[in-house]
Amino acid sequence: MYFFITGLFLLPLIVSGLLLVLPGKISKRLVILTSFLLSALALYIFINTTAPLYFSVPGYVNEVVAGADILLLVYFGWVALRKKSGLVGILTVLQLAGLLYLLKTLPASHSMQFMVDKLSVFMFLLINVISGIIAVFSLRYIEEEACSAFRKKYFLSILFWFIGVMNLVVSSDNLEYFFLFFELTTLASFLLIGFRKDAVSVKNALTALWMNQVGGLAILAAIFFIAYNGYGEATFSNLLAHTAEKGILLPLALIAVAAISKGAQLPFSKWLLGAMVAPTPVSALLHSSTMVKIAPFIILRLSPALKDTPVAMVLIGLTGFVFIAAAVGALAQDNFKRILAHSTIALLALMIMMGAMGTPVTIVASLVLILFHGISKCMLFLNAGVLERVFHLKETSDMDRLGESGPFTSLVITLGFMSLLLPPFGAFIGKWLSIETLGALATEKKILGALVMVAIAGGGAVLSLLYFKVMGGLVSRSGEQDRVRFEKTGPIYSATIYILLGLVLAGMIGLPLLLTHYFAPVAAETGRQAVPVVTEGWNLYIASMRLPILPLLVAFFLLPVTVITALFIRFRKVDRAREYMCGEKLNYSFSSFYFSTDRATPYFYAAGVLFLASLILVALI
Amino acid sequence: MNDVLIPVILILLAPLLGGLLYGFERIVKARMQRRIGPPLLQPFYDFLKLAGKRRMMVHSAHAFLGIMHFVSLWFALAVLLLGGDLILVIFLHLLSTSLLILAGYSTRSIFSHLGANRAAISVLAYEPVLIILAVSIFMLNGTFDTAAVFTSSEPLLYKMPLAFIALLLVLPIKLKKSPFDVAEAHQEITGGVELEFSGLFYEAVYTAKWLDYVFCYTLVFLFAGSNILLGAGLLVFTFLYLNALDNSTARVSYKQMLRFSLGVAFSLAFINLLINSLT
Amino acid sequence: MNLASYRKKSPWILHYNAGGCNGCDIEILACLAPKYDIERFGMINTGNPKQSDILLVTGPVTKRSRERLVEIYAQMPEPKVVISCGACASTGGVFRGMYNCEGGVDQFIPVDVYVCGCGTRPEQIIDGVVQALAILEKKTKELEESVKLKREAVKEGHQLNRRHIADEIKPVLS
Ligand code: SF4
Repeated sequence: MYFFITGLFLLPLIVSGLLLVLPGKISKRLVILTSFLLSALALYIFINTTAPLYFSVPGYVNEVVAGADILLLVYFGWVALRKKSGLVGILTVLQLAGLLYLLKTLPASHSMQFMVDKLSVFMFLLINVISGIIAVFSLRYIEEEACSAFRKKYFLSILFWFIGVMNLVVSSDNLEYFFLFFELTTLASFLLIGFRKDAVSVKNALTALWMNQVGGLAILAAIFFIAYNGYGEATFSNLLAHTAEKGILLPLALIAVAAISKGAQLPFSKWLLGAMVAPTPVSALLHSSTMVKIAPFIILRLSPALKDTPVAMVLIGLTGFVFIAAAVGALAQDNFKRILAHSTIALLALMIMMGAMGTPVTIVASLVLILFHGISKCMLFLNAGVLERVFHLKETSDMDRLGESGPFTSLVITLGFMSLLLPPFGAFIGKWLSIETLGALATEKKILGALVMVAIAGGGAVLSLLYFKVMGGLVSRSGEQDRVRFEKTGPIYSATIYILLGLVLAGMIGLPLLLTHYFAPVAAETGRQAVPVVTEGWNLYIASMRLPILPLLVAFFLLPVTVITALFIRFRKVDRAREYMCGEKLNYSFSSFYFSTDRATPYFYAAGVLFLASLILVALI
Repeated sequence: MNDVLIPVILILLAPLLGGLLYGFERIVKARMQRRIGPPLLQPFYDFLKLAGKRRMMVHSAHAFLGIMHFVSLWFALAVLLLGGDLILVIFLHLLSTSLLILAGYSTRSIFSHLGANRAAISVLAYEPVLIILAVSIFMLNGTFDTAAVFTSSEPLLYKMPLAFIALLLVLPIKLKKSPFDVAEAHQEITGGVELEFSGLFYEAVYTAKWLDYVFCYTLVFLFAGSNILLGAGLLVFTFLYLNALDNSTARVSYKQMLRFSLGVAFSLAFINLLINSLT
Repeated sequence: MNLASYRKKSPWILHYNAGGCNGCDIEILACLAPKYDIERFGMINTGNPKQSDILLVTGPVTKRSRERLVEIYAQMPEPKVVISCGACASTGGVFRGMYNCEGGVDQFIPVDVYVCGCGTRPEQIIDGVVQALAILEKKTKELEESVKLKREAVKEGHQLNRRHIADEIKPVLS
């Protein structure tokens, strides 16, 4: 097992190095092979992991980690100097000071630095499969990028490096190690966002850098307080062992701040929105499988300790607010990728909230959302890449001819949005579980529960309006084109998208099975409590929640099957008439309604800062 | 036995019931305007006539989605009547609405697009209220299943009157009644999403409207619990209220509708939720 | 009980003004109002050709409205009946011979019922519509007959593309 897990760590890192030096043709094969291998490895590990696996690394690695930390911070400092960014500079200095202090005071010996439990393995599967698909997709995407041959290799190399670091993040138990990997993902995202090197990219990359550095700083502070409280080594498992104690709140709150910054919740949402300037595979990577998914991961990891604490309550309030704020903010957007980014932020909020609630059902809900949101968002972002490269479209208001020129892309985007919204798709099940558990929260927690419920109900409806708005632009076809011919976008593009579409549909059909054999065990180990999942006749019970399978099965025929057959079905013996336009025969172009909600943004940020302050404050009191 | 038989019969007869209701409504509306109005079975005459028309469509996807809208709406209604999970019912209803909206978007017809846009906005206007209602019901009954509501001896109306008012305020949006009929707006955008359907395909959309009546009145009936007399009273009251409202008000713009439903109806539902959670 | 006999109880009307003075239009609207209340015959003013059975045209056909008239007519599914409402729809009326008018609906589409009067009276309109109903029923029967005999509604080809019918409309008066 060690062998395979270290393989998962090292393989992407080695490939990342190789990609820099190998010639183009070989590296192409290498990328495809590695993606395949990584997915297979993750699957193998997933099948064969039963108990949490703790393991340590030789002592010299500690020195290496400390050295790497310092090197990394020195690099950040250099970036700050070169780009003349005061914020990055200050944060780097603070981090460096904190790190040096901690290195001096804390004992240098560690017992177990890594822990691979079911949650980590769950994340492995998500990270490696989805990122592998994205890496293959970017082979073609980056070919068409206007940059030097070396930078193309460099791009792919960072992608794989990112995958490797992510694998490390989700399996490190020791917070010092976690800090390094956390910062390394920050570095990777910084490099990728700034990849295009124009002024906007550089500016947004710096924003991403400093916002994530706040998270890093929070982790350092958490390590300090863990030591200060005398919990011994700063590890997640140590933290969880002291669940009931009062002093634990502060480190918990600080780590939650790190999660919020990574997960681009308000007030840190700006970096994820700015990340849109990067090449599209980067967005896909950041949104679906890596980077932002660290946030719900951390919260889930800590959920046994977080559960029912005041910190969790503030977190639930914050994420409830973010859910509706991000949805409302999205209404004012026109850029396809920005709309996707807003919806990611909203759904991340839901995942974090579910993680923070920590009951068996909510943990299942959070996991379901993480997985299915990952798949759907990846599919949508890859399609955004196709739109950009093949159809040269970026704004949703320009897409009103897409239904005719690119019916396949339009179909997949429609299904992608519907999969985030409607039964019987996986992401809907997550949302459904969330709403029903929030009902219970409203009964227990009174006002907080009621407020969060309102936020979810309102935000959910706003999101559905948003999805309709985007879909509306994409699907229209004139009656001249009754027969649909799928466009050709190139083998790599279509292969990756077909795989993702297959995953979405397979996940939907296999959901009852996945719930019992896949999500429930992971949730049980994550939440440290039994998650009873029983199938009785046509019903599936998760704890007290009842999931009727029959309606979902019928809904499968009503939604995805219907939408797909609608494209292919042809009624015979039926006349064709022109669209009614009061007798006119003009061709119109369409646009949708527009809500200007930009004015509210500063207030949203202010509220986010308030929530953040109260998060720390609650922990202190 | 009875608790399965009655819903099943209701489900099978739902289009018939809805059609009768629609016919009756047209008479009542006409009488309110001091007209005689059409015969009671008028909707069925329409139905027969539409079936005999020569078939015509814009393109197959559009026609097909219209038919599936009807099918999925019937299914959502079935789940509701059979005592299914209320949240699931709301989302299944959203599913059927979204198929219709998708149909509206799928043609290159301006009115169809406008109607679909407005229908999407209507979803934003009524959906949060319905979800809050469902959660309020959950807090009283401890379950989301409507079966428990149908059998509970204490009517919800007495426990959450505010929620009932909120429901009354959003029903016109759902049923496309004046003043909130922007999505259909017959004289303005000639029916919106329904516009491009004709003949047999329009039949599906037309009967789906009858099903929507049954769906909405079932939601109203939920508030009476197992008290059939009270339920009948509520239905009659809601029926008269909707028609009086439809006859006496002028259409508002979609922005006003949104402001009203999110400002007034949603707040009422929220206050109701708060009261429920505090007591 | 013959279900088919109920079909004629549901004529839906499309009202199109091809350039008249609005006199007839006002009378048509009067038919809907409480005094005449044609809804008791099951009539609805749909405003939508795809769902209507009776096309009520008023006004002489102006050059601008020529193609639109034919387009709308093409968008109505059979069986359908056209009523030309008022003197100018029937013959051109007071506008006959004017440079911008074609004069009379029947030059472009087949008219089944002519209702006279410059400013038709609501009673006349209702009368016309009732006559039209009989014609509608006859047409329906004919259509059914053809379906019964040939198993298809129209002799030539299963499906008709009506999308470009109005494209070929040429002016009558040059
Ligand atoms: S017939 Fe007379 S009243 Fe009617 S539209 Fe023509 S000019 Fe006007």
